[in-house]
Amino acid sequence: MMIRIFIFTIVLCFNWGLSVQGKDYKASLFGIKSDGITLNTGSIQTAIDFISQEGGGRLVFYVGRYLTGSIELKSNVTIHLEEGAVLVGVPSIYDYYSAGNFRSLLYSKDQANISVTGKGVIMGNGRSLIKSRNEQKKNGYLPSNSKDGLPGLVQFVNCDSVVLTGIILTESGGDVVSVHGSNHVNIAGLTIKNKGYSARGMTLSGNRHIALTNSYFETDGIELEFLSKNQDLRIDDTKNEFGEILKRP
Amino acid sequence: MHILRFLKTGSLVLSMALSLWATDYDVQKFGVKGDGVTVNTASIQYAIDYISDHGGGRLVFTAGTYRTGSIYLKSGVILHLERAATLMSTTNPFDFVKDEDINWMSMIFAKYQKDIGITGEGGIDGRGFETANNMLNYIQRGLFDDKLLWDRPREPNRPQNIYFRECENITITGITIKDPASWNQTYDQCVNILVDGITVDSKSYWNNDGIDIVDCDGVVIKNSYFDAADDVICFKSHDPDKICQNIVVDNCVGRSSANGLKFGTVSRGGFRNVKVTNLTIFDTYRSAITFAAVDGGIVENIVVDGVRSINTGNVIYLRIGDRWSKGKEPVMKDITIRNVYAEVPLGKPDAGYGYEGPIEDLPRNISPSSIVGLPNHRIENVTLENIEIVYPGGSDPFYAKVGLTPEELDNIPEMPAKYPEFSQFKELPAWGFYLRHADGITFKNVTLRAKNKDYRPAIVMDDVKGALFKDMEIEEPESEQNSKEQIFQYQSENIRID
Repeated sequence: MMIRIFIFTIVLCFNWGLSVQGKDYKASLFGIKSDGITLNTGSIQTAIDFISQEGGGRLVFYVGRYLTGSIELKSNVTIHLEEGAVLVGVPSIYDYYSAGNFRSLLYSKDQANISVTGKGVIMGNGRSLIKSRNEQKKNGYLPSNSKDGLPGLVQFVNCDSVVLTGIILTESGGDVVSVHGSNHVNIAGLTIKNKGYSARGMTLSGNRHIALTNSYFETDGIELEFLSKNQDLRIDDTKNEFGEILKRP
Repeated sequence: MHILRFLKTGSLVLSMALSLWATDYDVQKFGVKGDGVTVNTASIQYAIDYISDHGGGRLVFTAGTYRTGSIYLKSGVILHLERAATLMSTTNPFDFVKDEDINWMSMIFAKYQKDIGITGEGGIDGRGFETANNMLNYIQRGLFDDKLLWDRPREPNRPQNIYFRECENITITGITIKDPASWNQTYDQCVNILVDGITVDSKSYWNNDGIDIVDCDGVVIKNSYFDAADDVICFKSHDPDKICQNIVVDNCVGRSSANGLKFGTVSRGGFRNVKVTNLTIFDTYRSAITFAAVDGGIVENIVVDGVRSINTGNVIYLRIGDRWSKGKEPVMKDITIRNVYAEVPLGKPDAGYGYEGPIEDLPRNISPSSIVGLPNHRIENVTLENIEIVYPGGSDPFYAKVGLTPEELDNIPEMPAKYPEFSQFKELPAWGFYLRHADGITFKNVTLRAKNKDYRPAIVMDDVKGALFKDMEIEEPESEQNSKEQIFQYQSENIRID
């Protein structure tokens, strides 16, 4: 009897622990607006910081267009984009920040257990950003070093346990996805549609235990590039628009 | 030699002028949009940083509405708002920084910068009503930590329009500053501030002050108009080791649902060397002029010369208290107030304005002006000269009464730790002036006029050591027939009535 209660308690605790870990927060709770006009950077960042401090969970975006500048992903937070949810990059170059060598719409550095999941879209607004950048360079206000290049969409630097699944990434002026120096990275079911830009589809460098599976690349720039060696890299069932299988170097 | 020196000076002035006006930058060239929709925070910040890094200049906003969250002004940069240009806050509290050093939210911050300003004929619009209510909403949903004292977010958790801290050489001219979510504009531990020709419309949410000068040295505020829900022209001292000093206020007009010209409430270090001239206060709920030394600070060497106070709940309130003194000895001395004409109404002076002042401290009849120290911390050397105050009179002793018996006078509480307001003692025994624990008081050519018969005398003194009344004129219906004693003294000494 005692043992059964003990086991029951353990199971209860386990479930409870899981449910806390997986708590869902709807974006509207933080005043995030789906109108495509309101700039949500401050609210989305506040939401991520809040969820991370509360021990983690999912920030869930439902159908709609969510305008934002750069967002920093924090430990134990999942950005979940439901089908029809679009994170839209704001068309002003100065709204973007960087965790590494270049700017990105979503970025994360030195964090653990971070995910971007769902069937939604991350749309970079690259055309407008090229215009914004060129105009600012022409005006002489934006220096032309690499840090001030066009922003990508997702960037992980020195992270642990990263999941990037299901989403559609498009219209990125900079390299769409870049993962550097991270451990235990699972990238699956991604769609990268980035024709019309010279940016690379994905760069992977210096990672350990990284898998790229079941994904699709449609880019004018290099689809997949390895800037330095990755340990324990697995690539399965990943193609470009011509049906060519993408492989390890 | 002389010519050489002149040339040198001339070229210095010229180069200063040149560097001041060196470069105008069109904000739109930085991709900033005046469409009223685009949130430009990052681009405006970039422009400010760029100009500061390139020798300074004016960031010029042409006609349009520029939305923004928190930005930081940097050395050498003037935000110049042309006519019909509005720098408008977003209404989302999460677009604002709560600065770690300042511990407050604001739209325009500056800290540790110099030669900065905001000029032009345009405006700053804080959209405070929406922002504050959005914050309230977030707090209620548990997203932001705040105890909701008075069922509103604490002041630091709502953005001000301007908060400058430890800056030097500040110019604020011409602009209209409206609708903050908290206080409106604060200059904290700054040196050399010129505020000239601004218009302030500040009654969109609780605690909307007009202007707050905290522990600053060298301040000129002139030719400006203020309409505020909370205190209008407000000097504060937050730091017990600092002082707010060398201040000129000239040709200003104020309207408030709290106080007009206010020194305090927070008064840790204190205030000295202040000259206020040509001040108009109207439709104001509390006092036109009030000085508080309630937190251990000093109030010293103050001249207020030329005041019209029309339809204000009270005219003059001087108070020493002992609230957050922490062992420091509060001082209030050497204060001259002269050339004042004032009318106190029977009704509520701020009725109909947004965020009206709270109805409180009842029951009481119309309160007198007051000078109230503490038994061991006395107000010293106050001169009131060429003053005329018209009161409604007509107090009702059945509604509230404090008579002149020693028992009734002694029963008026000292209230050292209470928030200082003219009404804090509820009913007082005089209709014109109540003086307590004060030494060296001079009334010269002072006229007090009650429109209706009052049960109280015009002036009551309790524990006053040394007072001179010269050329007093006191008018009250039926008082002469009854040969009413209008100046009453209790426990006082060395009182001369000429």
